[in-house]
Amino acid sequence: MGIAVKLDDLLHERRMTLTELAERIDITLANLSVLKTGKARAIRFSTLEAICSVLKCQPGDLLEYRPD
Amino acid sequence: MRHSTALPIAYVFLRILILLNWVFAGCVLALLVFTFVNEAWTMKALGVTGMSDAAQVTWAMRGIAALGVAAAVPNYMILTRLLKMVETVRAGDPFVAANAYRLHAIAWLLVAMQLISMTIAVIGRVISTEEHPFHLDAGFSLNSWLAIILCFVLARVFAEGTLMREDLEGTV
Repeated sequence: MGIAVKLDDLLHERRMTLTELAERIDITLANLSVLKTGKARAIRFSTLEAICSVLKCQPGDLLEYRPD
Repeated sequence: MRHSTALPIAYVFLRILILLNWVFAGCVLALLVFTFVNEAWTMKALGVTGMSDAAQVTWAMRGIAALGVAAAVPNYMILTRLLKMVETVRAGDPFVAANAYRLHAIAWLLVAMQLISMTIAVIGRVISTEEHPFHLDAGFSLNSWLAIILCFVLARVFAEGTLMREDLEGTV
């Protein structure tokens, strides 16, 4: 996978659980787990905005391009 | 999901058609076999006794009957695929890759059916004379070819729809 999702790292830095984030951005825990585990095929701008707003970060902090 | 009475009706109708298809094929096969078992009686029943080209007409009719039996196979394959598609619609999950493949296969099977029909029409035309004209309900059909094109296009629509749904399901 070329794009890595660093949600785990961000949550760890903010001392926040995935469940807590799911509740605050109003997305199901299942969907957020799909994103965290890198199984998502796409991410909506609205989801990205909500995550960045709650975690107070930039999209670049969440996503990283890793050449294979 | 909104319930429709069309689907259960289509399901039952297709099951009946599958049964009738084999009954039809069995009857035509029995007729074909009987032309060999009791040729004289069959020819008399078909009204070709005493004709100058009776032997040629007999073999042409056997050929048409054989094609009629052969047509039951693609017909069965079309009906069973259609039945499986109706089942996926009833289950509320029609946009799956399997349905795209089924429609694509149905389109090719319809091509085979049309070719069989055109072959039967050619045989009928060859043996048809003023003495004994043959009027067969077979041959080139514009509607059939339109249905074939429609099936090919719908197969692509299903394939694209399946990809779009997979994308949507993987979108967070």
